[in-house]
Amino acid sequence: MRLFRWLQSQKHSGENINSNQPRSTDLPLLNDQEEALCTELAINEEKLRDSFRACTDIVFRSVSSSPKVLLIFADGLIDTRTLDEVVLLPILNGTSNRLDGDAITAEIIQDQLLAIAQIQTVSTINEVTDGILKANIALLVAGENKAIIADLKGFEKRSVQEPAAEASVRGPRDGFTETLRINTSLIRRRIRSSRLKIESITIGRVSQTDIAIIYIEGIVSLTILEEVRRRIGRIQIDGVIESGYIEEFIEDVTWSPFPQIQNTERPDIVCASLLEGKVAIIVDNTPFALIAPMTFWTGLQAVEDYYERSIYTTFIRFVRYSLFNIALLLPSMYVALSTFHQQLIPMNLLISIANSREGVPFPTFVETLLMEFMFEGLREAGIRMPKAVGSAVSIVGALVIGQAAVQAGIVSAPVVIVVATTGIASFAIPRYNFGTAYRLLRFPMLIFAGILGLYGIIGGLFLMIVHLLGLRSFGVPYMSPVIPQIPQSLKDVFIRAPRWMMTERPSFAGANKKRIPEGQQPNPTRRSEQNE
Amino acid sequence: MSRRWRCICLILPLMFVTGCWDSSEVNDLAIELAWGIDKSPNKKVRISIQSIIPSKISGGQGEGAGGTSKGKPFFVVSGDGINTLDAIQRIQTKLSRQVFRGHRRVIVIGESMARQGIKDVIDTYTRDPNLKLRTDIFIVKGSTAKDFLQVSYPLENIPGLGVLGEYNQLGTLMELGFLNFLLAATSEGKSPSVPAVAIGMNAASQDEGSKKGQPGTDNEGFRIVGTGIFNKELKLLGFVNLEEGRALRWVSGKLKKMTVSTTLPDETGDVSMDIYNLGEKIQPSIHGNKLNIQVTLTGDGAIRENNTNLDLTQVDNIAFLQGELNKHIEETVLHTITKVQKNMGLTCLDSAMSFALKIFDCGNP
Repeated sequence: MRLFRWLQSQKHSGENINSNQPRSTDLPLLNDQEEALCTELAINEEKLRDSFRACTDIVFRSVSSSPKVLLIFADGLIDTRTLDEVVLLPILNGTSNRLDGDAITAEIIQDQLLAIAQIQTVSTINEVTDGILKANIALLVAGENKAIIADLKGFEKRSVQEPAAEASVRGPRDGFTETLRINTSLIRRRIRSSRLKIESITIGRVSQTDIAIIYIEGIVSLTILEEVRRRIGRIQIDGVIESGYIEEFIEDVTWSPFPQIQNTERPDIVCASLLEGKVAIIVDNTPFALIAPMTFWTGLQAVEDYYERSIYTTFIRFVRYSLFNIALLLPSMYVALSTFHQQLIPMNLLISIANSREGVPFPTFVETLLMEFMFEGLREAGIRMPKAVGSAVSIVGALVIGQAAVQAGIVSAPVVIVVATTGIASFAIPRYNFGTAYRLLRFPMLIFAGILGLYGIIGGLFLMIVHLLGLRSFGVPYMSPVIPQIPQSLKDVFIRAPRWMMTERPSFAGANKKRIPEGQQPNPTRRSEQNE
Repeated sequence: MSRRWRCICLILPLMFVTGCWDSSEVNDLAIELAWGIDKSPNKKVRISIQSIIPSKISGGQGEGAGGTSKGKPFFVVSGDGINTLDAIQRIQTKLSRQVFRGHRRVIVIGESMARQGIKDVIDTYTRDPNLKLRTDIFIVKGSTAKDFLQVSYPLENIPGLGVLGEYNQLGTLMELGFLNFLLAATSEGKSPSVPAVAIGMNAASQDEGSKKGQPGTDNEGFRIVGTGIFNKELKLLGFVNLEEGRALRWVSGKLKKMTVSTTLPDETGDVSMDIYNLGEKIQPSIHGNKLNIQVTLTGDGAIRENNTNLDLTQVDNIAFLQGELNKHIEETVLHTITKVQKNMGLTCLDSAMSFALKIFDCGNP
């Protein structure tokens, strides 16, 4: 009861944050200074140096031309070779060539000397520091109360690689990187339409992280888009390191094992989702994009489902759905049947279970729980271990737990088989974070089964289904299109209809639901008929 | 909100007070696969159970380590009591594990018990929720159920399963023996019939065994010897042999296939035929005060063995053989029905008979 009260109080305090509090004053932030530049270069420099005190990576370079030009940039974020060629040389040459004695001005530098595409003029200290921190160079000219901010990004970035977490046999192999602009370019390259909109927001009082909200105008539902904007807009956070930070602020229900926002490293998944009327959120510095809304069934669809032929995909989906039930229910079913309902086990199986359970010290329930726990431990250890040690984990896991424990009679062989099957089945769930929901729910189910047998399993499933039915993701029911049923969209749930059959977008898409015209079934004429 | 949580807190404990705490580990159960009912000299009934010894079943990880452990993988325990549950209670005092009856496959009844009548002891089998009605039921001819259960069987780990297999190989439908037995016992016009088994793989084996000087060896096995016929009081009236038993089952529509062999009277030699697609039709008719029942049996056959000089490419010869086999079958069936009717005062013609009886009653009040 106390826990619930606490949760409630958390909830209320959460609402308080929404009611536009003034920004907290935990840190006197530099970029809160709204101070205009003055015409005196020395004073501007003084102020900027004060802002950047103890920032050894900020470089101040003054060029002794007439008048003086001050160049400020963050070392490492800037392509210094280009800086030398494109900025420094022209300025030096430009001043020396101007024999007529005309003073060089910011305007002349901007219009005539700098061969840089993205350039802008700013007039506050705040904007100058922002510009510098976002990998631009700042040029201050003596005697002028404005500065030139020129884009000269040149930081180290990972190249586009195959996504490690979402491999596929067929399909594009490029994955998102940590750079927002590369990521948006990967999407833009796939959808060459001006209707693809990329809105930018900066979130994080300290980190100033760029976030892009991507959607296709005319396909996206305006209510969902507005909801995404609203939820992202009210985030107040010091820093955003990964898209998970954003996800936790904007998801519908925190206290649910099921993810309500999909994440992916694959631009093709993002583009397909955008075409279905979803909204993608890309956060700088992480390759994981968020896609909202998400339904239960999206969690069970793999990217390759849409690249392979539909018959095969339908078959694989049935395999996947069965495995997904196994992942959730097999250990608890084993416990329930072998401790409560032995009648239901086929006789020969019961005899071999009885045989292997001879001399095993723990009750079946404890045994299964122990092995499930060990399996999760093994999996966790395998992920965190350095690659060189990883093989040791698998050898120890396979030998010690798989064989030695059975031979020593500490666990029975059927439990090892059950746990291993469950483990494999849980890895067959294509979305990793959706699979974790099932690995998590396995344990309460196991406890239900251990206490109440099949009755407990049914009870647990009942609770789970009630929870799933109540869940929503950005206003879209989580179990749709099955409950509530939308027959048109069922073509992509249990089966995967051929593409020419899926003529409509999901029900949550905006006004324009028609996706492709009807009647595109391939209907080739035979060669002999063609000739006639 | 807090009311909702309070409600949930009230409802959740309800799950734990439903009394479903009867969990039991598999290794706390004595899994019983065969069950014997005998007459007891002093008390009323003697129950024997054949239970598996899990660690001695080969192929598992038990103490045997590879199944090399010696000894039978089963044991038999019996107890006397005034009724079945009383006997079970006495058996339980001899066992470290709880008797688990949910997987019982076979009920065997000793001949003496069967002759005394099993109506008094059968009630509990219809009440026990743990018991499945798919059990098969057998009579041990010339011996007690306890002795039968102690016999080992070369092909099966658990001999109780051997008798099931033997019975299925006879070409009968997979029947739910015990269920049918109960149905026959409670419905009008039917008399329950139960397959009979005898200890020993073949009839002469006991003599051979005694000659070799190893009486009562473990490798005896058992065989199906026919069918026991009960009356409505569930007393055993007598046995019919295998061939007669087959004929009875054919008449009652429970036979799937059979092989008929006959020696030809004029020709020297014999023929065998496999018969399948067995069908039967029973038509009662009333002539005056007499009830006639016409039994028509149909089936397709293929000649599988021909030890005569007949050339079977000739249609005449086939027709001749067909006639001979028909005659043979007719004789057998007629003989069986007569025997059952005369000796035991019963008919085994099941539902048709009861139907006919009703008409008969209506016609002649």
